[in-house]
Amino acid sequence: MRERGFTRWIVAVPMCLLALATIYPMLFTLNVAMKSRREYVLNQFSLADHLTAANVADAWSSSGLGRYTLNSIVVTAGAVALLLLLGSMAGYAFSQVTFRGRKWLFLVCLGALMIPFQVIMVPFFRVLGQVHLLDTYPGLILAYTGQFLPFTIFLMTSFYSRIPAEVVEAARVDGSTTLGVYRRIMLPLGRPALLSVGILNALFCWNDVLISLLVMQSEQHRTLMVGVTALRGQYSDNIPLFAGGVLVAAVPVIAIYLFFQRQITDGVTAGSTKG
Amino acid sequence: MTVSEEHTVIQEPQQAPAARQLQPATTARTTATRRRRLGEHQIAALVLVTPALLIIVGLRVVPLVLGAQYSLTGDGDRNGLFVGLANYRTLAADPVFRTAVKNVGLLFLALPVAVAIPGILATFLFLKVPGHRFYRSVYFFPVVLSPVIIGAIFNILLSVDGPLNQLLGVIGIGPVDWLGNPHLAIVSVIGVHIWATFGMALVIFMAGFSTLDQSLLDAARCDGANLPQTIRHVVVPELSQTIQFVFVTTMIGMLTGMFGLVYVMTAGGPGGATYLPEFYIWVTQGQLNSPALASAASMVLFLVMLVVGLAQIRLIKRATKEV
Repeated sequence: MRERGFTRWIVAVPMCLLALATIYPMLFTLNVAMKSRREYVLNQFSLADHLTAANVADAWSSSGLGRYTLNSIVVTAGAVALLLLLGSMAGYAFSQVTFRGRKWLFLVCLGALMIPFQVIMVPFFRVLGQVHLLDTYPGLILAYTGQFLPFTIFLMTSFYSRIPAEVVEAARVDGSTTLGVYRRIMLPLGRPALLSVGILNALFCWNDVLISLLVMQSEQHRTLMVGVTALRGQYSDNIPLFAGGVLVAAVPVIAIYLFFQRQITDGVTAGSTKG
Repeated sequence: MTVSEEHTVIQEPQQAPAARQLQPATTARTTATRRRRLGEHQIAALVLVTPALLIIVGLRVVPLVLGAQYSLTGDGDRNGLFVGLANYRTLAADPVFRTAVKNVGLLFLALPVAVAIPGILATFLFLKVPGHRFYRSVYFFPVVLSPVIIGAIFNILLSVDGPLNQLLGVIGIGPVDWLGNPHLAIVSVIGVHIWATFGMALVIFMAGFSTLDQSLLDAARCDGANLPQTIRHVVVPELSQTIQFVFVTTMIGMLTGMFGLVYVMTAGGPGGATYLPEFYIWVTQGQLNSPALASAASMVLFLVMLVVGLAQIRLIKRATKEV
């Protein structure tokens, strides 16, 4: 649609302001993280005297963030691997394999999308306790898999249904079994989808705090986001140090966003335009 | 690879020359093959689907049923005993839970704002204002950050002697206790949630715009429609499904995605003013050690979600038609 210069200007001003409002809080925090406590108290807005990662390093070494980061990596990697495996298997079956009860089972998976974790939190906690998986890596990995699997199946089904049926037919004529098609066609052809869905799930798991707070009870098993919530009490009188700790937790996500922006928005919009 | 070899044998009759297909014997054989192939499909499909279904049923559906059952039993020394609707009565009388429900009402009030902002922005971006790609990336960025990190950042920004109040001080507005004032705190938290998530709705709106029929826009222009008219008569009706979807997902996001923010920014305070049902459930289950009461609160939240979800069911139905 063609727009005159005048309209463009009217539009450009609020958009610019909003972009500023979106990005400034992050830049402010970055700046604060490089200041000394004294510098911050004197003037919150001034640019930091010099670029230093001293606060980040201090926060890292004095608060156990390293241990928490490792926990987060283990749990996120485990959950994403399991989600991609189970999600792509089911997604392939639902999109390309004709079998009895397909519609009903798919409906069960989608229906589970409407059960938020908050609603099943209490019995989930009890069940996990009964099978002795509370406060363990497998426990949290399973919790995340259960939480994000319906969405993963939904996305994988919609991605896989874009692969033309002729491709599958051709493979079958060449002698592939149904499971062979999964390994030889769905996995290689679905790589962009797997990347997209995998990154989305990694962000979900990495960013979660509620499930992790519930499942991981001991300090040594804390994930990074739970660790960050503890920083607040620890450094309440030293804002720059607090900002440094926050930065530690934010940097991996920022890096992923900068690298995989397109894949992330692809995943999000695939989930929306299909349903 | 014995399975695939076996399959090659089964496949053979199907590749019989087309000329022979009319012969009754071949037709019969093909049908038999098809039936056996369906059998192979059936087994393979079960292998593919069963692990996922076990996890979904075991970790989501079963807990939901258990939760409904827990909500009718007692806590403490009445643990496991059937108490009927006693927990629900306790909830109705609990001022903290009432605040949580009242705050859900506030969420509903905030919903039109949370949808309108990204809707208007997406329209601007669709019109390809200069730098639209840059704006899209910037606006979406907070979506990928954890609520915990966003909450922590705004803890710094909104503190009484923090930067926002210093800025307001410059234009002569005295320090506002954004997170300490019981009437203001929940508004601050909802505001931060909208700030953090509008990029999500924006991207969904833009996906909707990309499916918009360009010829309709051209026709509108030929008829001399101005921008507001075009939006009202072409864009809004064409995007009605997208708008509906954004309303539902934004509401669900508000009902289930604010725990991290509340936990970090206010911890439910001051005086329980920023409780939301999810936070109430968590505190009641963990700190207060009343899982049955927490289950009852869960069921109330689930009911609210179901009402919102009725719209979602319609959307899901549309999606399953493709299967």
